[in-house]
Amino acid sequence: MVGALALLAAAAFAMDLASQHQAWERRLLTALPDQVVADPQLVRFAIAEARPLYARHCAACHGRDMHGNPALGAPNLSDSTWLYGSGTVYDIERTLLYGVRSGRSKSHNITDMPAFGLTGRLSDGDIRSVVQYVLQLSGDNYDPAAANEGRRVFYGNANCSDCHGMDARGDSGYGAPDLTRNVWNSGGSAEDLYRAIYFGEHRVMPGWRGVLPLEQIRALAVYVYSVSHPTPAQAANTYAQSTTTPGSAAE
Amino acid sequence: MNMATPDIDVRPARGRLAALLASRPQRSALLPSIGIAAGLLLAALGVFHRAPPDRSTVPAGYAALVNQKGILTSDLISQSVAELGKPFTEVTPAERARVLHEMIDEELLVQRALVLDLPETTTEVREAMTGGVNAQVAAPLLAQQPTDEQLRAYYDAHRAKYTADGSMNVRDLVLHIGGYENADQSMAQANIDATEAVYQLRSGASADYVMEHFGFNDSGRMRFGNEPDFAAKLHLGPTLYPAATRLTEGQVSDPVADTDGLHVLIMEQRRMPTIADFASARTAVYADYREDIAKAAQHENVKILRGQAQIILAPGESE
Repeated sequence: MVGALALLAAAAFAMDLASQHQAWERRLLTALPDQVVADPQLVRFAIAEARPLYARHCAACHGRDMHGNPALGAPNLSDSTWLYGSGTVYDIERTLLYGVRSGRSKSHNITDMPAFGLTGRLSDGDIRSVVQYVLQLSGDNYDPAAANEGRRVFYGNANCSDCHGMDARGDSGYGAPDLTRNVWNSGGSAEDLYRAIYFGEHRVMPGWRGVLPLEQIRALAVYVYSVSHPTPAQAANTYAQSTTTPGSAAE
Repeated sequence: MNMATPDIDVRPARGRLAALLASRPQRSALLPSIGIAAGLLLAALGVFHRAPPDRSTVPAGYAALVNQKGILTSDLISQSVAELGKPFTEVTPAERARVLHEMIDEELLVQRALVLDLPETTTEVREAMTGGVNAQVAAPLLAQQPTDEQLRAYYDAHRAKYTADGSMNVRDLVLHIGGYENADQSMAQANIDATEAVYQLRSGASADYVMEHFGFNDSGRMRFGNEPDFAAKLHLGPTLYPAATRLTEGQVSDPVADTDGLHVLIMEQRRMPTIADFASARTAVYADYREDIAKAAQHENVKILRGQAQIILAPGESE
């Protein structure tokens, strides 16, 4: 009889745990993406949920420490530089849902970096000059004469400014990186930059919608957000620039 | 000496349980307890399996359910920002409601399209669907850029693709069978006349002289004068065009029989097709290479789908 009661108690406990877990999941998803970060308990729940998911699905490319992998062009997720969007939970979740150049039209796929060398659009000398100009832009050591020539190519026949902007600060609306921050997905040495311009950049990330449940995608977005925004000041700065914040649902 | 026998129960375990139950007066309480515990365990296990979705409420993470198909809140935010051209923070509840209304309308139309079986009946829908699958299949492979060596090898293997068209201005004379001097002219006689005409032309006689003397006419196929090769191919047809491409400027062909008689071609002007070198064809080679990579991936995908599919052909059909 005692054994039966113990079993009964264990079953009740398990039921309660499962029910609580489902309630947390609902809470995580019911909040608009960017509202979640205002609730520390919810953030803690999301992080606990997401850690094993990250290890299983994301770490292979972005690294266990989220520092990315230049060889794969997988960006560092722990810093404050974002290729797409401004790093809000919504932005991160969007990328998780539909991916980058994943073949789904909702993914980030407006443009990619052309293969200037491979297609013969720029000569070897032009590419080397542009590399020097980009090194100058990012505050690295550069050859002034070559950089001057590179600047001409950058704004001239290469038309780099079309995507990276006249100020070379990029456009996170379509994934053109800021060339002035010295933050690089595929490495920032002269050789790395040469390779990026010569072969172009056409990185892909899978979309996880339909693969992972929505609550897991949300949890991952919150986790990545929390790692890249360890202080409230950083979070406040992101949301000051954000285009998304909560509202109420109505048709 | 009375040796005590060790008290070992050799009955099977199930038998022991039965005996235990039979020997204990409290068995009436034990059995229901086991039953209750088992039931509760089963119920607890059930908790870990997701309950079927509640069809009367919108699941968390969704803005609406349309015939049980969800519209993601994230998609609503994205659509609002894109459509209204302003940050979501500035989207009013009324604007948000309008966008959601439009998305619901769109979802209804998509669902209606499926009911109407548009993929089966409408070419554009079918193409969009196959294109969507193909794009997804090719996406990971297109992330890999080729090396220079791979592009060069591709160019070498497909040089014909990078040939710039030549052009030709060819005079096409035709001797209609039976049209020379007497209506009963035989094919043999026509051949003799055409051969003689060719000899005269190659010896310096003018085309006008040959036309008048042997009864040739201008076929009219090359009446537009100098034409790019593709146009000449179209106008001369499959029999005469190959003969024309073998001629250099100033040469006269042997007689060529076509459906309307014997033809003699005089090449007046010829610019030969040119093969673009690798450097100048690079952009096209790159595009073609990637297109072929995508096609190969799509082909593999279809092979896999075919491997998994049940395809039955009607009697007499083949594929």
